[in-house]
Amino acid sequence: MTKGKKIISYTFLSIVSLLSIFPLYWMVIAATNKSVDVSRGTMLPGMELINNFKNLVASQNVLNAMTNSFKYAIAMTVLSLAICSLAGYGFEIFHDRGKDMVMSVILLAMMVPFAATMIPLYQLFSKAHLLNSTAGFILPMISTPFLIMLFRQSARSFPHDIIEAARMDGLNEFQIFYKMFFPTMRSTYAAAMTITFMNAWNSYLWPKVIMSDTKSATMPMLVANLTEGYVTDYGMLMLSVVFCTIPTIVIFFLLQKSFAEGITGAVK
Amino acid sequence: MRKKVMAVLVAASMVLSLTACGGSGDSSSNNTEGKTETEAAGGENELTVWCWDPAFNMYAMEEAEKEYQKENPDFKLNIVETPWADVQTKLTTAASSGDLSSLPDILLMQDNAFQKNVISYPDAFADLTGSGIDFASFAGAKTAYSVVEGKNYGVPFDNGAVIACYRTDILEQAGYTVDDFTDISWSEYIKIGKDVLEKTGKPLLSCLSGESDLIVMMLQSAGASLFDEEGNPSMVDNAALKEVMDTYAELVKSGVLVEVNDWDQYIGTMTNSTVAGTINGCWIMASIQTAEDQSGKWAITNMPKLDKAADATNYSNNGGSSWAVTTNCKNMELAEDFLAKTFAGSVAFYETILPASGAIATYSPAAKSDVYSEPQEFFGGAPVYAQISEFASKVPSNNTGVYYYEARDAVATAVTNIVAGADVETEIAAAEDTVNFAMGK
Repeated sequence: MTKGKKIISYTFLSIVSLLSIFPLYWMVIAATNKSVDVSRGTMLPGMELINNFKNLVASQNVLNAMTNSFKYAIAMTVLSLAICSLAGYGFEIFHDRGKDMVMSVILLAMMVPFAATMIPLYQLFSKAHLLNSTAGFILPMISTPFLIMLFRQSARSFPHDIIEAARMDGLNEFQIFYKMFFPTMRSTYAAAMTITFMNAWNSYLWPKVIMSDTKSATMPMLVANLTEGYVTDYGMLMLSVVFCTIPTIVIFFLLQKSFAEGITGAVK
Repeated sequence: MRKKVMAVLVAASMVLSLTACGGSGDSSSNNTEGKTETEAAGGENELTVWCWDPAFNMYAMEEAEKEYQKENPDFKLNIVETPWADVQTKLTTAASSGDLSSLPDILLMQDNAFQKNVISYPDAFADLTGSGIDFASFAGAKTAYSVVEGKNYGVPFDNGAVIACYRTDILEQAGYTVDDFTDISWSEYIKIGKDVLEKTGKPLLSCLSGESDLIVMMLQSAGASLFDEEGNPSMVDNAALKEVMDTYAELVKSGVLVEVNDWDQYIGTMTNSTVAGTINGCWIMASIQTAEDQSGKWAITNMPKLDKAADATNYSNNGGSSWAVTTNCKNMELAEDFLAKTFAGSVAFYETILPASGAIATYSPAAKSDVYSEPQEFFGGAPVYAQISEFASKVPSNNTGVYYYEARDAVATAVTNIVAGADVETEIAAAEDTVNFAMGK
């Protein structure tokens, strides 16, 4: 690369990264300022962080929402990974024409938007007496076509020789899955975990429709509560957004390396 | 063989997880869920309420609970904070799936959506007409929002009477006072506005582009609507609408009105002192008052009226909400009695909530109370609450109906095009076509 080209690409990359960082910067700045200063467009950190925090805690049950969000997101991630990885593994390792057809039907389901299935799903849950319950929130979201496909793709790169060798050594099929497949596919699990956790953490429409108790509010609902009303306290709102963002950022940074590997499907 | 068994197991686990929604629930969780459902529907002396603003309507409900507890110590409210958009989503989901059991006893509804919801889901709302609630003690135009086919479905709550707010310090620089803006017409407004703009460089008014709020306020101020009595669109040949469109275009062209892109920017024009005033529902005062350093520099008066329209007034409405009782309410008598004795019957209650939350009522007896006549320092010591109550009593009513939001959107599109130079009559005709299309005509 010539020097001129380098300068151009660095300038371009700097601008793009500034553009992507700016909203995060603005979020933190706004969280430390008074509402009126935020609407006046301040760009500098303010002294109102503690006040905003006090107001936020006074108006919303942050701890409860945080606990709920973690509870639901973790339960959903664990169940989802367990079920979808088994399914993906099964679809690939034991595949035949019938299962391949079932798989294509499942992939078709990816194209149906959630809003279209929401009302029938609601009817189903109301008949099953699952309205207003954790199970009602989690159940429809634990098995997703995308995750099954992800695990199926990565199982494709899992050498059949290993399976054969393991069978010869006397492992049964479950043991092969847990002792051979699971450790090798760690990066895929990491990628799946990041995606599922973020989806679970950010899910809004379904939990909002199915749960009507204040006690079961999650972080995104708390943020939504703050945007409603005649006056929006932007400082307080942004602080709640910071709280809502931190867990997903932490998870992403922790699993960043494996995430990239998992998405591209690497077996070592 | 083993391979087969494993395959069946894996496939079964998948199928189960996909259908688990229906299957597992029936047996295992029946007991616990039954309990939460009754909880949501309310016990003997408990009512569940959905509303959305902790500083405003939720606060009002809490105070109403206290007021009612004076007579009924066992009474309890379960207030669930639910943003308006979610109230609508949950209502739509519950009503279209035919299972109303998740609805609360009482919910707060935007006035603009009231008739739409009652007409679309008639089974979901309780008719409050002979319930002992005195609807005559509310401003007429306000109650009209929650009346469908002559039946009352809502207890009016907050006031959306339109006020015109002005920065007195900026007007003074141009040699005007707020009195020059009282009881005026739009042509006078534009004339003074041009002068203020020239002398101070500040427009009189800011507005969200692509929104129809101001258009509809102007229209309602002359007693005109986007629909006729039967609920059919009445835009073409609606002289008032044409005048409104022309006036709006003139406001933008003259620079007296500056259009902004979003709500935050709109609030910013006031807090940053880039405009000399605004015209909106009286609830806008709460946002204006966040700029504490502007205290004493604001004044309110009525809005300008249309020049030509026959029934033109200086009064209109934008926003506001009313309480609805759902048919899922297990103790209808309690809900009715509660509303009748608080929101529709207690001046003391309104006297409590006004100073703390700025919740201006539409309950006429409360407007006469001393609390409403208190001078407000932020607004130059004027008794703004009493002024607003007076405005509210003079607002002409408006037909909303099922397709009100669609009509407002169509009008917003039309006005954007008109400002860009399109022909007024063609655009109004196009807007009416859009609404007819939405209505399936």
